Amino acid sequence: MDEIVLVLPNKPEYVSVARLTVSGIANRMGFDVEAIEDIKLALAEACTNAIKHGCCDEYKEYRVKFVIDETGLTVSIADKGCGVKEKDVKAPDLENPKEGGLGIFIIRTLMDEVDFEVLPDSGFNLTMKKYMGV
Amino acid sequence: MDSINCYYDKDNARWMAELKGEIDIYSAAEFKKALNSAFEEKIDDLYLDCKELSYMDSTGLGVLIGALKRIKEQDKNIYLKNLKPNVMKLFLITGLDKIFILEG
Repeated sequence: MDEIVLVLPNKPEYVSVARLTVSGIANRMGFDVEAIEDIKLALAEACTNAIKHGCCDEYKEYRVKFVIDETGLTVSIADKGCGVKEKDVKAPDLENPKEGGLGIFIIRTLMDEVDFEVLPDSGFNLTMKKYMGV
Repeated sequence: MDSINCYYDKDNARWMAELKGEIDIYSAAEFKKALNSAFEEKIDDLYLDCKELSYMDSTGLGVLIGALKRIKEQDKNIYLKNLKPNVMKLFLITGLDKIFILEG
């Protein structure tokens, strides 16, 4: 098992760094092009949420951890916010489409496993996994 | 995202633009600004060529949904063509392929 950790400033211009990093890791692991695109998009949605909801004046960064093992790639995104409540995750309402709120829905659709955790002291932690060869 | 060039095609009465590069939380603001300034000038159909759009996420969808709401009131629509598979997938999984008009 290998671990890689990125600590990113809560600035929109660095989300592309997270995408590039995960794309390099997933490519290295042998995921196909479609799976790499799925993981990239899911991570970008999580980073976008961390920047929009998880950072404040006191905490100016969030953490992305990649865990690589033979079963697949696990990515955790930890910030200091209270995150998105899981009950808020709904399929898009096509009669009345909204500008926001699609992020978690997209992550759930693209990744094989998604977990949320709200920790009293440390904030919001989202963990998602893509299995190899599924 | 490279700068977006939005121009009005008078002959066909529509806005035209080519999207290039990546639309994410960073570049979506510029995308929104470009569409807003076009529709402030004139509300009409919008045709987007996505041939060189390599990546888009929900922040880009949000801009498109906002723009569509604005022009739908006058029965106008947004047409997207030449979407790369990853961008097409984003529309398919969110069901937004049924709201925007996707061509080829």
